[in-house]
Order: sequence, then structure tokens, then C-alpha cells
Amino acid sequence: MTAGSEEIVVSHLTKHYKQLRAVDDLSFTVHSGRVTGFLGPNGAGKTTTLRMLLGLVTPSGGTATFGGVRYNDLDQPIRHVGAVLEASSAHKGRTGLNHLRMICTAAGLPWQAADEALAKVGLTPAAKRKFKGYSLGMKQRLGIAAALLGNPRVLILDEPANGLDPEGIRWMRDLLKALAAEGRTVLVSSHLLGEMQQLADDVVIIAAGRLVRQGPVGEVLGSMAGMTQVRVRTPQVEALTAALSARNATVTPLPDGALLVTGLDAAAVGHTAFTSSVELHELAGERADLEQVFLQLTAGKAGIR
Amino acid sequence: MNLVKSELFKIRSTSTWWILGLVTFVLWALTLLINWAGSSINSSPESTEGLTAEQAEQVRVANEAVNVASNLYTSGQFFGVLMVMLLAAIVVTNEFFHQTATTTFLVTPRRQSVVLAKLIASTLLGLTFWLITTVLNLIFVPFILDALNVGSQLGEPAIWRALGLNALAYALWAILGVGAGVLIRSQIAATITLSTVYVIGYFGATTIFFILGPRLGDWFSKLQVLVPPLASQLMVSGTELPGNPPRWVGAVVLIGYAVVAGGLGTWLMKRRDIA
Ligand SMILES: Nc1ncnc2c1ncn2[C@@H]1O[C@H](COP(=O)(O)OP(=O)(O)OP(=O)(O)O)[C@@H](O)[C@H]1O
Ligand SMILES: [Mg+2]
Repeated sequence: MTAGSEEIVVSHLTKHYKQLRAVDDLSFTVHSGRVTGFLGPNGAGKTTTLRMLLGLVTPSGGTATFGGVRYNDLDQPIRHVGAVLEASSAHKGRTGLNHLRMICTAAGLPWQAADEALAKVGLTPAAKRKFKGYSLGMKQRLGIAAALLGNPRVLILDEPANGLDPEGIRWMRDLLKALAAEGRTVLVSSHLLGEMQQLADDVVIIAAGRLVRQGPVGEVLGSMAGMTQVRVRTPQVEALTAALSARNATVTPLPDGALLVTGLDAAAVGHTAFTSSVELHELAGERADLEQVFLQLTAGKAGIR
Repeated sequence: MNLVKSELFKIRSTSTWWILGLVTFVLWALTLLINWAGSSINSSPESTEGLTAEQAEQVRVANEAVNVASNLYTSGQFFGVLMVMLLAAIVVTNEFFHQTATTTFLVTPRRQSVVLAKLIASTLLGLTFWLITTVLNLIFVPFILDALNVGSQLGEPAIWRALGLNALAYALWAILGVGAGVLIRSQIAATITLSTVYVIGYFGATTIFFILGPRLGDWFSKLQVLVPPLASQLMVSGTELPGNPPRWVGAVVLIGYAVVAGGLGTWLMKRRDIA
């Protein structure tokens, strides 16, 4: 396949459950060579979207394609797309190695691929142990091993960080970044926004089944200038509060005696202080982080429906 | 075919098959002993009281050496096909119970191929169960027949026909099991429902037909063959029993059920969302 042909294109994807529109006319594009974070509150429709992408759930309308081809029409799909989904698991009485071998057999891959994938996720010592004895983190790793079996160009992960310890999360971050650096397409849903900010190049944010914002992380953060926060410290708290409020900024006193100003950037706060002859002891612009932007963007949109 | 290999590997790599295999073995041994105890050659029934002339005639023909022999050579069928059906159902329900359906259908989005592979793998499994019980029967039954003072009867084509049709019965019950597994996705519900319906259905139907048959007439008695366990028993009777439909009808009935179960199963599996 040529570079770029593994783009994921979601177009007007819709899924109704009775009256509930779990996914509602959703369109977005995921680019190769980048990690794309797929964010949304609980019940936003992330899992449903990913399952429709993978042909497991039939859409009520719209399409989702990998390089222009629907998942179900891909020839040997696990060689193109690897997926780790919630609520996917292994037989409790089967060993991890046999779980992977079973997939290899069905997909016509050599059994050796199973050993290699286990080694890649660090599960070789547990290869011959039964799945029911695996810890949560080991189960996640086995899922990732299964996704990597066919050496796919596209990876889709639903909440892969669930159950991983900090070490495991770091391992996963490095792995996904490395895979994207090789030119692969990586789409990963998560609730851990701090983690996403470190991991993702692009984000797709949905709420109540609809697209809220899509773009590179920096752009999405930058577009929220209104979210910029400035931290100031002054001996003349009342004078500064009055001057800033006159310019429509919101001023919140912090427990340590400093003030948190939203609605103006650092330069504007500094200028206001200067023109009001207020003495400043500290002035620091704090860029909004992904968590604040996310909460702002999805505020008021129905979460659990 | 890779998918069939994978399905067989799935069965092999867990312990369900040998547990049910062991249960089958024990039940086979019990059935053989019971059949032995209940076998009497050419003896007319001691009491014909309560039996109609036709039922008495049935008993007489059933006691002919060849029919006693075919009954013995197919010992273990009653529970054997039940175990095969349960295993086949578990081949499907496992996917939902252990949430491996997602993985399975990610590897093979063509769901009809997956169901087909499961049908083939289960059929092979059913035939394996048949082969093992049949070999065991061929080893032990001649001794029993000898004890009953008749020859091994293995020269009789009727015996071999019964064995062949018995194989067909095992295969068909495996297919029924797969279909049932799709219909009842819960592992526990499927296992309990199938065993109960099979056993209760068998004894219930036998009783009902025994009581009502003589009153309602011949046509009603012939409907027994529609009850699946009775149909498979009919298939392995040595010669035609008076008052019973010919053996091939038993086969046709079971094939009918298997086609409906397999077809419905495939259709449902294709339509359902996997979540
Ligand atoms: N099979 C189903 N039948 C009915 N409703 C469903 C079904 N699957 C999902 N839903 C509904 O669709 C909505 C979206 O669910 P989904 O699991 O896609 O959300 P999510 O974004 O993955 O949430 P979370 O972050 O909690 O995993 C929810 O309101 C859920 O209740
Ligand atoms: Mg989810």
C-alpha cells in the first residue's frame, strides 16, 4: 500500500438504538503517521463508533473506510487493521499463547507470529499460563499482542490504558508513538486526558454522538484563547479585581493568596495592572490544558443518555 | 480450510471436550450394561397385558437377534448425541461467554464462513465421538451376544446400515447443537435447556405416544418420528419395526431440523451486532 492510503475516513456515520442516537451523523478523518486521540464523555458513542469502523456493529447510516475500503471488504483484514476493544477477551481456560495461535490459524499466519507478538508486549514468561490467571494489565497486553499479529498499518484501541500501572501506561505510550513514527495510523480512545495530551498528535472530540472538535492538539488548545488563565499576585487585591472585572475578566482568589484570571491573556492583565497603578509580584500565563478544553467543549452536552 | 482448523484448535486448546468425552464414556458403559440386561433374544414378552396386538408384535420383532444386536452395537447413542449437541452448542456460546466473538469476527468478517467452519468442526467432532463409541461397541458387543448364545451378527448388512445411520445421527445432532447455540447465546441457559428438552422431551414424548397412540390411531403414532431423539433412535433400528415409519424418514426429519437450525443460526449471526 502506498503511504497515506491507510487514512481512516468516517463519513456521516449514524447508529440508532431505539430512539437513542448513539452516534449521530459523525464525520472525521484520521491521518497516518500520527496518533489520534478519540475523546468524549461516558456514553458519547466512542465504542459504538469504533465497533462500526470494524464491521462489528452495523451502522444505521453512513460509512467508515480504511484507505477507501470498508473493513468487511478488506482482504485478510487483520493484516491491515489491528484492534484492541473493550469487552473483547480470551477463553478463560486457554493459554495466552494458544489464544494467539488460534488467531494465526484462522488468519493463515505462521504460529511463529504468536511468539513474536508475545515477546513484543513482554508476555513471554506467561505464554503457557491460562488466561484466567492473567492480571488486568496482562490481559491488555495480550489484546495488544493480538492486534499486532498481522503487522497492520492501522491500529485502533478502545481505552487501552485501562488497568495499566504507570509503568505500563508509559510503555504503551512509547509503543504507540513508535508505531505512528513508522508511518502507521493510530486511533486511540481514552478518558485519561493528561495522558492523551502527552500521547496524541491529533484529537477528535465527540459528545452525545456528535463531533465537537477535530484537529492537531496544539490547534485545538490554541483555539480556546478564552480559556487562557493567568495567575497574578498583588498586595492590592481589591483594586486589581475591580480593574480586571471592568474588562470582563473573571477573577478567582486562590487559597495561596494569588488570583486566577480567566478571559484575558497575560499581556492584557499586565497592562491593566500598569494603567491602574497596581503593583504586581507575580504574573504567569497558564495555557489551558486538554482537560480544561475538553470539559469546556463538552459542558452542557448530555453525557450519559 | 484455515477456519475449520482454527475451530478445531479452539476445541482442542480447552478442556471442555475431554470432560464431556469422559462423561460420554461413562454413560456409554452404563448404557451398554443396561442394554445387555434388557436384551433377550426371541423371547416373547412375558406379559402382553396392556399391550395392543400391534405393540406386542413390535416387541417380538425388536427381540429378533439382528435387532437386539443393532441396538447393542449402537449403544451410547442416546447420551452420545446429547453430549455432541452440547459440545457443538458450546462451540458457539463460548464466543459470547468468553467474549471472543469480537476477535473471531475481526479476523473473519464474513460471518457465514465462521458459522460454516463451526458446523464442519462440530460435525467432525461428532463423528469422532461416533467412531470411538462404535469401535468400543465392536470390541465388546460380540462378547455380550456370545453370552446371549447368538453369533456376532456382523455378517448382517442391517447392522452396518445401523452403524452408518448412527454416524449420520451424530453428525446431524452436532449441526443441531450449533444452531441451538446461536439461538440461545447464554452458555448456561443453552446447556440446561438443551439437556432438559432432550431428556424430558424423549421420555415425555415416549409416554404420550405410548398412551395416546392406540387411541388416536396409526397416523398419530407415526408422528413420533418428529420428536428429534425418537427420530435418531428410529434411524438405528436394525430392520423395520411394525407400526413405525421407515428409517429414512428419521434421517429426513433430523436433516430437516439440522438445516433449519443451521440456516437460522447463520442468518441470525450475520444480522446481529457484536458488542
Ligand atoms: N447495544 C446497545 N443497545 C442500546 N444502547 C446502546 C448499545 N450500545 C451502546 N448503547 C448506547 O449508546 C451510547 C453510546 O455508547 P458507547 O459505548 O459508544 O459510549 P462510549 O463513548 O464508548 O462510552 P464510555 O466512555 O463509557 O466507554 C450510550 O448511551 C449507550 O447506552
Ligand atoms: Mg466505550
